[in-house]
Amino acid sequence: MTSEIVDTLLTTARGVFAAVGPLVVLFLVFQVFLLDLPRSDVRRILVGTVAAAAGLFLFLLGVGIGFLPFGRLIGEALATMPAQWLLGIFGAVLGFVTAFSEPAVRILADEVDTASNGAIPPRLVIYTICIGVAVWVGLGLLRIAYEIPLTWLLVPGYSIVIVLFWLCDKDFVSIAIDAGGVTTGPMANTFLLALALGLAAATGDRDPLLYGLGLVALIALAPIMSLVALGSLVRRKTRTKRSKEDAEYIAHREHSA
Amino acid sequence: MADVVPLLKEKVAEVLRAMLPLVGIVVALQLGLVHAPSAVFVQFVVGSLLAIVGMVLIFIGVEIGILPMGRFIGAELPRKGSLMLIVAVSFSLGFATTVAEPDVLVLAQQVDVASDGAISERSVLYVIALGVGVFAALAMARIIWGVSMKLLLTLAFGTALALSFFAPPEFVPMAYDAGSVTTGVLTTPVVISLALGLSAVLAGRSAVSDGFGLLGFGSIGPIIAVLIMGIVAG
Repeated sequence: MTSEIVDTLLTTARGVFAAVGPLVVLFLVFQVFLLDLPRSDVRRILVGTVAAAAGLFLFLLGVGIGFLPFGRLIGEALATMPAQWLLGIFGAVLGFVTAFSEPAVRILADEVDTASNGAIPPRLVIYTICIGVAVWVGLGLLRIAYEIPLTWLLVPGYSIVIVLFWLCDKDFVSIAIDAGGVTTGPMANTFLLALALGLAAATGDRDPLLYGLGLVALIALAPIMSLVALGSLVRRKTRTKRSKEDAEYIAHREHSA
Repeated sequence: MADVVPLLKEKVAEVLRAMLPLVGIVVALQLGLVHAPSAVFVQFVVGSLLAIVGMVLIFIGVEIGILPMGRFIGAELPRKGSLMLIVAVSFSLGFATTVAEPDVLVLAQQVDVASDGAISERSVLYVIALGVGVFAALAMARIIWGVSMKLLLTLAFGTALALSFFAPPEFVPMAYDAGSVTTGVLTTPVVISLALGLSAVLAGRSAVSDGFGLLGFGSIGPIIAVLIMGIVAG
């Protein structure tokens, strides 16, 4: 038990170091050769980076000791459900709250808010991501129960996304792509992955690895699809609004002439 | 640093709002369905508390340190550097953060096993990192040249979809899973703010449609890379 804890501590520390190391090196190289920022800025950046690294360590540790084993147990318990279609509902609820707790999703939403000067509020981005993940984790758990091949979901999913790219407001295309990246963060990758592994192992002869990995692939697709869908709606709305305003303007001019 | 207290208050509230729904659902499942041994449940409660404290620290650190870091570099790059430098920095950032990521190592082992050792772990690791680096550099070059994101994405996803039909079936989930490796919690704000900084200093660029997309586009590289390795191995 003690060696297990030491192991977890070491792996987590190595992961954090690997994540922060390249960033700090890059920054220092830039500072020396190009940036030449005042000392107080450098100190602030380094203090912030150390705080973020310490936070990441605690977060990953907490997810590893708390959510990983529990995710597996939930997956095993879900396998005993009397009706398999119930998995879709449990998957949707768990998918929603997991994406809601993913730190990078919030960081992305805040950055979108800043970059768009408040035109795209963070809550809109977060809820759209969570709804997408809810739908696809629900489908992902049903897929495990009914042994549906992953390509049957991925190929139509990405095909729809490619079509929606061309109907979508271009701001949302870029945000959607980044959202696909941030949603598969540490919480989804451990908690939901462990849940899928537990479910696949408990339902019998499924290859747990194949089915667990498949869920992560679907979680990456989910927010891309929901955000480009939202972007397509937004564009239609602004278009009709614009053409209505134009028509009113023309009518007004004709009237006054 | 007098502004730390309101920042702390704001972030604690945000983290609690983010974490409580998940914790609540898990507690409800424990009571209604899972009935895990109390030791495991205590471990979950401790883990949740650690995760909450950790997330508060992450958010504060990102705001005071990581975001300004990316912004400074992004704003300075086009002023002092050439196109080559910008592309080289994007490539090395993508490559270095991927090669060190623990998730990628796990994935590399799986590809090694799935190919019966025909593709070694080490080569998978470098091919994936190369995929991220090349696509991150492409995404950065796109901002400078003003190429449409829609076109690039359609080509990239189209290629990935087409390759999925030729790759051995056991490689497909691995490939699409590889797409989630570029998502380090701390890499995210650096890359986004770097791209925002770059699009802010280049004339005629939109902050949103040009500032975002760099991070996600980098993750299509490994999907294509793993699918190609599967086709070569199979």
